[in-house]
Amino acid sequence: MRLVYALVFVLGLAAIVFDHLASPSTGRAMSPEDFSGACAPCGAPCPSTQSR
Amino acid sequence: MTVATTAEKPAVAWPGDWLFLAAACGAALLLAALVWLDGQPASAALIGLGFALGIAFFRAEFSFTAAWRRFLVRGEAGGLMGAFLLIAVAALAIVPVAALVPGFGGAIAPLGPSLLIGSFVFGIGMQLANGCGSGTLYTAGSGSGRMLIALAFFVVGSVIGSLHLPAFLALGGADPIVASQYLGPWGGLAATLASLAIAAAIVGAMARRRGANVLPSRTIVIGAVAIGLLSIAVFVAGRHPWSVTFGFTMWGAKIASALGFDLSSQPFWQWPGPKRALTDSVLTDTSSLTDFGMIFGAMAAAAALRPFARADWPPLKSLAAAALGGLLMGWGARLGFGCNIGAFVGGVASGSLHGWVWFASALAGCTVGIRLRPWFGLSRE
Repeated sequence: MRLVYALVFVLGLAAIVFDHLASPSTGRAMSPEDFSGACAPCGAPCPSTQSR
Repeated sequence: MTVATTAEKPAVAWPGDWLFLAAACGAALLLAALVWLDGQPASAALIGLGFALGIAFFRAEFSFTAAWRRFLVRGEAGGLMGAFLLIAVAALAIVPVAALVPGFGGAIAPLGPSLLIGSFVFGIGMQLANGCGSGTLYTAGSGSGRMLIALAFFVVGSVIGSLHLPAFLALGGADPIVASQYLGPWGGLAATLASLAIAAAIVGAMARRRGANVLPSRTIVIGAVAIGLLSIAVFVAGRHPWSVTFGFTMWGAKIASALGFDLSSQPFWQWPGPKRALTDSVLTDTSSLTDFGMIFGAMAAAAALRPFARADWPPLKSLAAAALGGLLMGWGARLGFGCNIGAFVGGVASGSLHGWVWFASALAGCTVGIRLRPWFGLSRE
C-alpha cells in the first residue's frame, strides 16, 4: 500500500504542477457559482432561467 | 553509588514517518508557492486552510458517515449534534456576510427532483464507501488505501453525474429559497439558528426515546468548533462557503480530456463556471485548493503519528464497496449539488432551504446504504 501511495503522490503532484504551468492561471481563484446566472455551487442555472 | 537514570531508560523512538511527513508539507508549500507567484495570496490561504482542515478532521476523527449511521442504527445523537454545532458556528459569519458584503455569496441550490435523487443516492454511497466528501479526502490522505479507491471512483462518478445533471434539471424545480432574502441578514441568521435548534431538539428527542446518548463528546465539540471556524476562514478567503466535490468533477474532466474524451461540448461544461474551470489551471478553482490542502494536511497529521500506509489492503469485497460507494457519491454529489460540506454544511449555514432537503434525503439514502453494507462484509454499525 505504501508503494501505491508513493506512486499516486508523485503522479498526482506532477499532474497538478503540469496542469498549472500549462493552463491560464491569472486572476483570483473562483468557484463556478461566481459566474452570473449560476444557481448552485457547480454553476447550474436556476430553474426560472432554464424555463425561459 | 550513583545511577545514571537517563542511561537506563530505553530510548523512545519517534513513531512517525519522516518521508511522508516531509512530502506532505513540501507538496502543500509547493502549491502555495505556485499560486503566490501568480499574485494570489488568497489561493495560498485556501491551501493552508485546507491543510488545517485535514489535520482537524484527522485529530478529531470527525465523521459525518459514522455519526449518521450511529444515529440510524443505535439512536446515538452525539455526532449529529456535532455537525449542527459546526454549522451554527459557520452560519454566524456566512449568513450575514453573504447578504451584506458585495462579492460574497452563500451556498444556494435549486429545489427539485435532481436535488432529491442526487442526495438520496449520495446517502447510499457514503455508507458503502464509509466516508462522505470530506471524509473520503481526509481518510484517503491519511493512508487508507480503501478510501483512495473510493476517491478515484468518486471522481469518475462525478464526471458521469456532470453529463446527466442537465437532463435532471430539465425535469423542473424551484429557484433557491434563502432565509436572508425573506428576513434580511439578521432575521435570516436567527431563522437558520432556530432551524438548527429545532433539528437538534428532534434528534435529541429521538435519541432519548431509544435510550441512547444525546450529547457529543468533548473531542467532537472541539472538532466541530475548530472546523466551523476554519469554514469561516475558507469563506472569507474564497468568498463562498467551503465546498469539496466540484474539484473532483473538474479533476475527472481534465483527466478525461487528457485521455482524448472531449467534454467541452457537453451542456454542463458549457455553463460559464465549469467551462472556465475546464480550461484554466486546477489551482484557480477554490474547491480544488482546499481539497489538495486537506489531503496533504491529513497525510502530514497521520505521518507525524505513525508509519504511513503500512496496513494491508482490505478484502476485495470491502474494496468493491468503496468503489461502488465512491461512484454513487460522485454521481449523487453532482445531481444533489454537493456533499455533506458543500450542500449540507454550506447550504444550511447559508440559510438555504436546499441544505435541509439534502440532509433529509441523504439520511434516507443512508438507511438503504446501511442495509447494503453486510453484502460487502461490512458491519451495519
